[in-house]
This record gives sequence, structure tokens and C-alpha cells, in this order.
Amino acid sequence: MKDSLVLLSRILAHPDSRCWFLAWNPAGTLLASCGGDRSVRIWGREGDSWVCRSVLCEGHQRTVRKVAWSPCGNYLASASFDATTCIWKKNEDDFECVTTLEGHENEVKSVAWAPSGNLLATCSRDKSVWVWEVDEEDEYECVSVLNSHTQDVKHVVWHPSQELLASASYDDTVKLYREEEDDWVCCATLEGHESTVWSLAFDPSGQRLASCSDDRTVRIWRQYLPGNEQGVACSGSEASWKCVCTLSGFHSRTIYDVAWCQLTGALATACGDDAIRVFEEDPGSDPQQPTFSLTAHVPQAHSQDVNCVAWNPKERGLLASCSDDGELAFWKYQPSEGI
Amino acid sequence: MASPFSGALQLTDLDDFIAPSQDCIKPMKVDRRPGSGVAKIHIEDDGSYFQVSQDGGMKKLEKAKISLDDCLACSGCVTSAETVLITQQSHEELRKVLGANKVSAAPDQQKLVVISVSPQSRASLAVRFQLNPTDTARKLTAFFKKIGAHYVFDTAFSRNFSLLESQREFVRRFRGQANPEQALPVLTSACPGWICYAEKTHGSTLLPHISTARSPQQVMGSLVKDFFAQQQRLTPDKVYHVTVMPCYDKKLEASRPDFFSQEHQTRDVDCVITTGEVSKLLEEEGVSLAELEPAPLDSLCSSASAQEPTSHRGGGSGGYLEHVFRHAAQELFGIHVTEVTYRPLRNKDLQEVILEREGQVLLHFAAAYGFRNIQNLVQKLKRGRCPYHYVEVMACPAGCLNGGGQLKAPDTPGKELLQQVERLYGLVRTEAPEDAAGVQELYECWLQGAGSERAGRLLHTSYHAVEKAGSGLSIRW
Repeated sequence: MKDSLVLLSRILAHPDSRCWFLAWNPAGTLLASCGGDRSVRIWGREGDSWVCRSVLCEGHQRTVRKVAWSPCGNYLASASFDATTCIWKKNEDDFECVTTLEGHENEVKSVAWAPSGNLLATCSRDKSVWVWEVDEEDEYECVSVLNSHTQDVKHVVWHPSQELLASASYDDTVKLYREEEDDWVCCATLEGHESTVWSLAFDPSGQRLASCSDDRTVRIWRQYLPGNEQGVACSGSEASWKCVCTLSGFHSRTIYDVAWCQLTGALATACGDDAIRVFEEDPGSDPQQPTFSLTAHVPQAHSQDVNCVAWNPKERGLLASCSDDGELAFWKYQPSEGI
Repeated sequence: MASPFSGALQLTDLDDFIAPSQDCIKPMKVDRRPGSGVAKIHIEDDGSYFQVSQDGGMKKLEKAKISLDDCLACSGCVTSAETVLITQQSHEELRKVLGANKVSAAPDQQKLVVISVSPQSRASLAVRFQLNPTDTARKLTAFFKKIGAHYVFDTAFSRNFSLLESQREFVRRFRGQANPEQALPVLTSACPGWICYAEKTHGSTLLPHISTARSPQQVMGSLVKDFFAQQQRLTPDKVYHVTVMPCYDKKLEASRPDFFSQEHQTRDVDCVITTGEVSKLLEEEGVSLAELEPAPLDSLCSSASAQEPTSHRGGGSGGYLEHVFRHAAQELFGIHVTEVTYRPLRNKDLQEVILEREGQVLLHFAAAYGFRNIQNLVQKLKRGRCPYHYVEVMACPAGCLNGGGQLKAPDTPGKELLQQVERLYGLVRTEAPEDAAGVQELYECWLQGAGSERAGRLLHTSYHAVEKAGSGLSIRW
């Protein structure tokens, strides 16, 4: 099993600092990393190795916690503890900060672009989730301020094809939001985790959502539409989400990130026990009660907490990870059963 | 429990207004008994505390309560400010005062209890009890007097002053645009959720734009504690002024140091209760508003006596945009506007109004309700891209009729309920503030003229940017 995930290379991306997050651009050719050194770095491939193409260090006054590429690949958003979110525009190898989104009361924890490219979501320790709209002139306006969570909101992610937003919080819940008339509303609350929910990932179809938590489990939630065959109760015309699988007993510490490969369906996790794990759904498992098996486990993937795992969107099996030790690592995932 | 304060106030982090201090100064009543030794505390399953004395006897201990007054007098509290401010105790405080009045025979201990009801709260109660606004006003008067209040007023009366001052101020600022201190746009000041947010964030950017006119609640404070008290030959501290408001943020407004008279050691508004708290009072008395015999309405001065409430045009949040727009159109451009046309923008809480002549925009006003629209307005202002001359800003989506303290109906969806409240609010006859009975008289007799020093002091206020806390205790780890 250990051989399924092989180290390709390691880079000290953010020396003397933590590397907090990684994001592949939609083309899979560039990797953005961000860290406690307040910078964002863009990595590109040169032959077999990865080199730093740009350093964006003038944007933030504090740790950069997350980065996210726009669906078109021309913009990069960076969310920072300085309470702002910068939008960078890509010009060849150069990135220019075109606007700074302000308004959150304190640390911005996450940022995510909607599949349409017109909407952006941010969330913060101030317990709120904001939805922003960008117009033709690259002007951003706040469309909604959602105060559904009762604690720090750690992560936001959009559904792969619909304008459905999910958020994860220190209040142990996952919430889903959609647009209703001229505002956004919380349409579902997923309860079940026993501690902070750190991250979220939708599966390629968008029908399932994976969440990972300080309670050391990964939960898989499935969407049930009204009138579904399985007889899962729905409230009015609202879809409901049910936890259909819980992966417990695999992680010995907090799970900080979960990533669902859009090409293969493999699920990778980043854990506070310094390990990276990969799970795959058992072939033939019941969609209403899926089972997942551990197909890869690298115990000392990094020398400290693994903060993020990210699957390359174009190259099967290429996984990037980063850690509190400031390092960025690239891995090749080759499941032995040849999927 | 979800916070009852407006969205803007929630995000504002009240802890910045009330910073923690080293000691809690809440005076503790300690029963000192000789030779008691060390006390043991036993906690029951239901969470109540019992002191166990040496002989085994148990004495139930009282829960320490902190009222809004205590908290603000203290300058701080070690617990989260917000949860302390959520006070169901305000209507209890009123009860205490009414109770003390009944018990105390000495005339110098008695307080004259005055209750000022907002038209928005009245509309909410009208819907609940299925009454028209006039009957609601009269029956509320009867109810409050039944429980011990002496006078019941309508804040629509004090709103006349807020509107007139706002109109005058805008025209002055528009004309004096060359002067950098006369900043445009002018932003309204009646909403305390908005004011607290503005003082906390971007204080230096926003405060110069905010109208200095007091809100109707605080103008009523001046009217009751200065004019009315004098009329009754009482010092202001002998008058206990309660207001009935559609939101909780108004409690914070009443507690501002600017509205505390150092000379008389009394606040302009002593207690704010929400519409919901009035409903509680009615329940506690076992009374349905509909059953009460209506009482005649009180008025602040004889020339203002009417047996029907009056209101103002321009929506349920006071009508600032409407009044300032029409007045400015007339004063500045000689244009008489009969009907103000509101154009909705990106959402229904953002609207604009334009005065055009021969293709040229003369006045560009807007109404921005709700935190997201306030956000966008502030960002535009910061970047120097705000196209408006005047903006009516309210923290609550749909405005004051939708305030956090308004009555809810378990079997009516919020939207429908709001429509009903809006309808009942709109049934009240409107009049222009300059025509309202008693207003001109008060400007002359009480204030000694519209632009006088007294008018400036009693009808206006100022704002203070909140410094980012430096105290180690307020750092969030």
C-alpha cells in the first residue's frame, strides 16, 4: 500500500514559515502556494522539476491562508489573516493585484470561485460567509453577507456545476447556501461531526460532499432531491443531505484537508499526524451506503502537520501537499489494482 | 441563541464599545456573618447554587445579574459584551420603577413615568391584535397608564424635528460644497446599528459624512427631559423616560454618553423596550390589547393635541430620503416634486432617486438598507466613487418595520407579516413636518429659533471613532 503513493520531489516553498495551502490552475500547469511568510508563490514545471515562477509578496500584511484560481485561469484570489482578500490578474508570468476585497471583521480563512466565474465566496473568523459578484469591469460588489454559523468559518467551496455554496465551521457543522430572489439563504445544515469541520470537497458529479474534521473522521454526504426513490425526507422543495459514510479509525489526529480527484474519484486527506492517506470507493458499493478503502498511506509525508492536499486537474495521479514545515511535496498515486 | 441585534451590530463586535476592565465593579452584596468560616458551595443538578454552612444548612444563592446600566457604568465586563446586552431585563427594569412608584409614598422618591411609542412598534402591535392604528395608539395609552405610566407620547412627533433638521442640514452642506468640511454625501444618522458600525470601521472616512441630526428617539429624549420636565416643574432626573422601539440597537443608542446629562446625572432615554417586550408586559398582565377601553392620546404641548396619530411619507424608516429630497429640490432648484420615484437597483434594499432637468442630474439620492448594501456603499466612498449626494442608511433589510424587536407570528411567514405591518403603518395620515401642530411653536418657545445654540445642542449630536483596542485583555488569541 505504501508504494501506491510515491514521492516525486520536495521543495522548501516557504522557508522558516508554514505553507498553508495549494491550488492548481484549471490547466494543471501552475501551482499556487501561500504561507505564513505573507507571500503567494507560483510554481511551474521545468522538465522534471518545479520552479518558482513568481512571488507575490506585496499583497498582504499577515499570513495568506488560502489561494484559489478563477475557472478561466486568469485570476488568483488570496485570502489573508489581515482581513482582506486580494484579486490578482495574470499577465504572462506577472501577477498584478487588481483589487482588494475588504469588509470582513477579522481573519479571512478561505476564498473560492463559483464555476461561472462571476461569483466569489469568502469566509472568516467573524463567523460570516460573504458572496461577491464581479462585473465586466472587474469591479467586485458584495451580494450577500451570511451569518448562519455560530463560530469561525474555516472553509468555503462551490459545487462543481451549480451555484451552490458549502461552508465548514468551528461550530461543527457544514452549511449549504443558494440564491433565493435577490439574496442568498442557508438551505441546509449538515450535523454529525463532533468537532471543528476543517475542509470540504465535492465529488466530480457534485452529488456528494466530503467533509473532514478535528474529530478525526471524514464524512461523505449525499444529496437527495425531493421525490427521491430512496424515500429520504425533504423539506418542501429543498434538497436534503444525508451522511452516507463515515471514515473513522484511520487518522490519529485532526484532518485538516480533504481533496476529491475530479478525474479518478480518489479521496486524499491531509492530517495533523504528518501523514497523507488516499481512499477509494469500493467497486460495486451501494451508492446509498458507499464503502471506501484505504489505498495509500504515507506516515511521515512531512515532518509536521500536513495542511493541504491537491489533485492535479489534468494529470491523473499527480498530487501536491504542503505542511507546517514550509515544504511543498509532489506525489504520484498509482493504485496497485490498476484503476 | 441567535443575536437579536441588527446584522451590522453583530458584525461590529460590541466588545469594542465595551472593553474588558481588570475588575468587575458590580457591587456585590455580601452578608457578613461572624464566625462563618469557609463557605462551601454546592451545585444542584438544575444548575442552582447553594451555600452549605458549617451546620449543614443550605441557603440558595442568588444569581448575579448584570443590567445594561451596570455594564456601561463599569466600562467593561469580563464576559462577552453582547450576551450581557441581550437584556430581557429592560421591561423588568420598567416594572421595578413602576413598582417603586407604587410602594413609595414620599413625593420626592416618585418618578414621572413617560413612555414614547414608535410608530413602527405600534404598527407591529396593530397587526398582532388586528386593530387599526388609532385604536392601537389609544389602547396602548390605556395599557401603559393602567400599569402606572403617567404620559404616553408618539415618537412621530419628535420625528418632525429630526426631519426638519435633516432637511436644513443637507441644503447647507450642499451649498457649502467648496468647504472640505462640508462633505457630501450626507449619510443619515437615525439608525444606531449603522452608527456603531461606522464609528468602529473606517471612522475617519465615514463620520464626517454622517448627519448630526438626532434620531426621533433622542429628540424625544430632549423634548421629555428638557421641555416637558420643565413644564411639569420637575428636574430631569425625576422623569423616567421609556421608549418603545422595533429593535434592540436602540438600547445601545440610549446608552451613549452623548445622551447622558452630566449636570442632572440622568439619561435622555432611561429605558428602551422592544415591541416584543411590550407584548410580554401585556401577557404578564393577562391583558389583550383589543379588550382595553381606549384612552385619549397625550400630547407634548396643547397645540399638538390630536386624537389620531399622524405620520410621515417615505416609508417605514422615517422618510428621510423623501423629505430631504423634496425639500432640497425646492430650496436649491425651485423644483416642486409631488411624487418621489424610487428606482430599485441590484436588490430590493437598494434604491435610488434622481432629480433631473434638461438631461442634467441635479440630485442623486439613494436608500441603502442591510449590511451588504452598507458594505458596498462604504467601499465606494472609500474609493471616492460614490455617486450620491444623500443616502438613507438602515442596518435592517426592509428597514425599521422589520427590526429585530418586532413581533413575530408563528403561523405567518415573515414576508407576509412584514407586508401586513407595512400596510397598517401606511394607514396613518401623513403630514409635512413643518405643518405639524406644535412644531413651530416649540422651535420658537423652547429652542429660541431654528438655528439657535439650543437647537444645535438639543437636536444634534456628534460621533466618535472607536480606537482599535490596545488593552492586552481585548486581544483575541
